[in-house]
Amino acid sequence: MAPDDLRALLPFMILAASPVAVILAIAFYRGHALSFIISIAGLLISFGSLFYSFRYAPRAVTPLLIIDRYSLFFTGLILLATLAVSLISFGYLENRSYRRGEYYALLLSAALGASTLVASSHFASFFLGLEILSLSLYAMVAYTRGSRFSLEAAFKYLVLASVSSAFLLFGMALIYSYAGTMELAGLALVSRAGPSVFATAGLAMMLVGIGFKLALAPFHMWTPDVYEGAPAPVSAFVATVSKGAVFALLVRYFSAFSLHDYPYLFWVLAGISILSMLIGNLLALLQNNVKRILAYSSISQLGYLLVAFLASGPQSFAAVSYYLASYFVAMLGSFGIVAVLAGPRGELVNLEDYQGLVWNRPWLAGIFTGMLLSLAGLPLTAGFIAKFYIVSAGVQAGQWALVLVLAASSVIGLFYYVRVIAAMYSKRLEAVPYGEVPVGGGIAVAVLTVALLWLGIWPSTLIGIIQRMIYGN
Amino acid sequence: MEYLFYISGAAAVISTFMVIIQTKAVHALLYLIVSLLSVALVFFSFGAPFVAALEVIIYAGAIMVLFVFVIMMLNLGPEAAEEEKKLISARMWIGPSILAAILLAVLIYTLTRTGTIANPLIVGPKEVGMALYGPYLIGVELASILLLAGMVGAYHLGRGRRYGGPGEGE
Repeated sequence: MAPDDLRALLPFMILAASPVAVILAIAFYRGHALSFIISIAGLLISFGSLFYSFRYAPRAVTPLLIIDRYSLFFTGLILLATLAVSLISFGYLENRSYRRGEYYALLLSAALGASTLVASSHFASFFLGLEILSLSLYAMVAYTRGSRFSLEAAFKYLVLASVSSAFLLFGMALIYSYAGTMELAGLALVSRAGPSVFATAGLAMMLVGIGFKLALAPFHMWTPDVYEGAPAPVSAFVATVSKGAVFALLVRYFSAFSLHDYPYLFWVLAGISILSMLIGNLLALLQNNVKRILAYSSISQLGYLLVAFLASGPQSFAAVSYYLASYFVAMLGSFGIVAVLAGPRGELVNLEDYQGLVWNRPWLAGIFTGMLLSLAGLPLTAGFIAKFYIVSAGVQAGQWALVLVLAASSVIGLFYYVRVIAAMYSKRLEAVPYGEVPVGGGIAVAVLTVALLWLGIWPSTLIGIIQRMIYGN
Repeated sequence: MEYLFYISGAAAVISTFMVIIQTKAVHALLYLIVSLLSVALVFFSFGAPFVAALEVIIYAGAIMVLFVFVIMMLNLGPEAAEEEKKLISARMWIGPSILAAILLAVLIYTLTRTGTIANPLIVGPKEVGMALYGPYLIGVELASILLLAGMVGAYHLGRGRRYGGPGEGE
């Protein structure tokens, strides 16, 4: 490896060193604040070094990783989201007294797995990144061991994620046997060489694995249970970082396919997208649990993202990047509110618990309203611009069926978002034991709100960054 | 050489299926060893004797150690010895033994007939080492982080109940 390779890798090396630092610190002194500070410092330094390694991009560091503007942009997004999650987690874990230090080691290694995913250019790094992410998440989902729900959620996640990893591996093996290369760029060869049973089966199996990770419609069964059972900050992480990283990878390599050469692949993905949008939004209507509502909402959001992906072309890259950023902000904010409201006796997840929240915690109710409206895609929030971007990408590509389903399901979606909002602004039934708002979580939620409004009212900054990322000037 | 692959592959499938349907962990472990041995033979038939040896040493060896631990922990008194006898009944070891015997027979047949494996592309320790510390260096580092995450998670989840409840810890 040349010195410049190492310089380009700097953010990843710092991120890899920080869980080790957390573990070492725990060995000498076990303190929640210390682990927290180390992880925050690691994330911030790693984020800062992104700008340094930017100068050495684009660069393929060994066959495994590619450091370019695209991977650095998404690594930055992942680092910021992890920062928000750790801020939210600090107050949340402080209320629940377990051994808390290890949580940050797991969180940081999960972030490393996610950033490896977005930078991977090889099956080996793809799979290793995915496994680092999943393995850390199993333990994080079950972190509050006292709760039966957490254990159940972790167990479901463990079994289903292992099965989906097996599918993914088998698919990779089939594609390797066909294309003779394990580099992800080799996927483009598969499309050029024309259809074959091996390639088709391999692609289908890889899509099953990826679809599971993204919780797209036929593979979404685990999502509500896991989101409900996991601690709220972990649900936020699963909903944003874990999905975003896999989606970024999907967009980078499967768009190389020029989907029109592979019409059946296009139709399969279009079907998955339509199913996700409809199932996510329709099933959310039946829920009475805020975490489950958010879970179904995330299923439908990924369906919207697939519309942008299927539009293909540079416009779709921009739409996907912008949508992911705004989705990160709104999802982190929503789960952040659930985490911040969690009292010492447990999380408040039923709609009744939110009844009359505005009289009790007006700021939090206002912020939650903003986040939900952004998920619904209403103006003045980031979600509006993002959805606008997706629709315009879809229309430009002439994907009318997809755009129509998107519009129809957004209207359905609006109903359950408004249901939560209406509960918050209705009359109080009885006093609910809300916890004290922790400082870290409060700051994180406030910053996310600012980001939400800023992206909604002043989108040109982020759009400028994304344009520079895509066109490279 | 193909028969070696097909026979050991079939043995792997059968033994793995048996692992899943066993009700006692010890019996499942017996089949798991056979499954790992057959996978080692599959590697061998592909011309990767080094990986095959690693498979036997690391997986089958480690499983054997686990097995011994289970037996040791059960061995606590006369009734435990009785229990142990029940675990290792003929019905239980005959299946894995037959599969292992088949694998051994195939291996011996191959080695005596051809003297070596006929695959022209033999990947030895040197090639594996050069790949791991050359192009796949980052993969090795990532695997170490994977193990770290697994270890931390197992430590946290596997700790005794008495540390677990609210109000405990730190």
